[in-house]
Amino acid sequence: MITELSLSELRGGLRRGELTSAEIVSAFRDAYLADAKKEEPLGAYVEFFDDSVALAERADEARRAGEADAPLLGLPIAVKDNILVKGRALTCASRMLRGFTAPYSSTVIDRLLAAGMIPLGRTNMDEFAMGSSCEYSCYGPARNPADRTRTPGGSSGGSAAAVAGGLAPVALGSETGGSVRLPASFCGLYGLKPSYGSLSRYGLVAFGSSLDQIGLLGRSPEDLAVVFAAAAGRDPRDETSAATDFPAARAVLDGAELPARDFRGLKIAVPREFVPEGLEAEVSAVFDRFVRWARSRGAFVEIIDLPILEASVAIYYILAAAEASSNLARYDGVRYGLRAKEAGTLFEMYERTRSEGFGEEVRRRILIGNFVLSSGYYDAYYKKAQAVRALLLREVARVLAEHELILSPTAPTPAFKLGSKVRDPLAMYLSDVYTTFANLALLPSLSLPAGLSREGLPIGVQLTGRRFAEETLLSCAETWRREGGGG
Amino acid sequence: MELKELYVTASLAQLDLSDEEAETLSALVGQMVEYFSTMREIDVENLEPTTHALLKTNRVREDAVVESAAADTLVGNAPESEGRFIVIPNVL
Repeated sequence: MITELSLSELRGGLRRGELTSAEIVSAFRDAYLADAKKEEPLGAYVEFFDDSVALAERADEARRAGEADAPLLGLPIAVKDNILVKGRALTCASRMLRGFTAPYSSTVIDRLLAAGMIPLGRTNMDEFAMGSSCEYSCYGPARNPADRTRTPGGSSGGSAAAVAGGLAPVALGSETGGSVRLPASFCGLYGLKPSYGSLSRYGLVAFGSSLDQIGLLGRSPEDLAVVFAAAAGRDPRDETSAATDFPAARAVLDGAELPARDFRGLKIAVPREFVPEGLEAEVSAVFDRFVRWARSRGAFVEIIDLPILEASVAIYYILAAAEASSNLARYDGVRYGLRAKEAGTLFEMYERTRSEGFGEEVRRRILIGNFVLSSGYYDAYYKKAQAVRALLLREVARVLAEHELILSPTAPTPAFKLGSKVRDPLAMYLSDVYTTFANLALLPSLSLPAGLSREGLPIGVQLTGRRFAEETLLSCAETWRREGGGG
Repeated sequence: MELKELYVTASLAQLDLSDEEAETLSALVGQMVEYFSTMREIDVENLEPTTHALLKTNRVREDAVVESAAADTLVGNAPESEGRFIVIPNVL
């Protein structure tokens, strides 16, 4: 079945002439339409693009005419609703941006379109990417394909539900503190958060600018490598983008196989803080099995102490909220999006627009951000958190000087029930307890599907590497995949 | 967080809070702020705060005209416009 194939398999089918792009895109569209009729639809997309099949037909014509030099010509991708695609609507799943049309494309989209890819549609998310369950969406939640009463994770929950539910072969998400890896873990996918700077942030709607990064979700490490290679590279429009070269990923884009990493001699650190006594038994069992597998392949897995990690969620929520309160100040009803009606003065218009347009969780974070930045609290919270971040950078660098990878569970639990944490923000925030440190430390981090709970819920394991060592993460994940996911 | 403090913060953020919302929020935000204090014990003496995650120097580019999103498209996103002007309520 087309909808069960990986991007790389679809690419092979196109190259050998066994498939057409129109067949591929139609298969995903039909799957989307069929799902939308179900009693509990996945809610993966907020819009499926009507013209995607027509775009696919055009790609097929180009291929027939011998103009198939774009490496990913005619292959579809789902796009999170906070990444600009020129001429398309974009809302960040917020009432605030209803009616907004993207005036330009993000650099990552520009590069993927240049490589021949076809955007399938916009995927559901937590409003402005703030949330861990995809429930803070103005469209209603996305659901987990493994169990529709559960969350697919957030904030890129729609992207994960689309790929895991057979509605897209691969998807773009975005991360500020785990928003790609958590959904990957909950939905049984591979999810990559690149190093800060590997992918341009131009055209990704800003949330926490020192943490944000576009990420990828797919069914195999090779699929992530292909899309990553096509999208990576320095962008003059994002001063924080890096000119790093990724030759192994680029070779995969050019048709080579993703090499599997030999684990012999690989030094891996497991922070004690991330495998606590009270870790949920099923997560613990899956994680231990992965460690045994890595050791059996010759890796040195060492338990280390990294106590600073215990502060990572607190630092993260202070800094992310502070940056968000500043970034979201632009939504004022003047230049785009919602404008409250019947406001007498300019300030009334600002206040009413922001109160009507933002959902509860976004308002909460803006408030927290303004609070930690306000005079009297700035030193105690914001400035202190910045200093602790510096300490975390130093301590994590110390560990990664001696070990190539930091290994942990991706999340403390498998996917939880929809509705179970929505009234308890702190419990929701703690879903990110193992993920935020990689964003704070600017490191690449990957979640791989490591096993299932007794109820059949996916459980992920997270590999975090040195800055710009995306290829190490991908090739280690490839080793795992080739061995049948350890099973 | 005290209710009064919450209202001040909300007005700084240009957010309007209903009394009911303020009650629930003050408990929640208070809970968050208490959680944040877990990092207050950490010793960061002699550490420079990371004011920017990465950039130590400015990058410069040539001062040249480059094509960017067309102004009309940008203005076209405004909720209310007249020609190429964006209409807003009275300021004075």
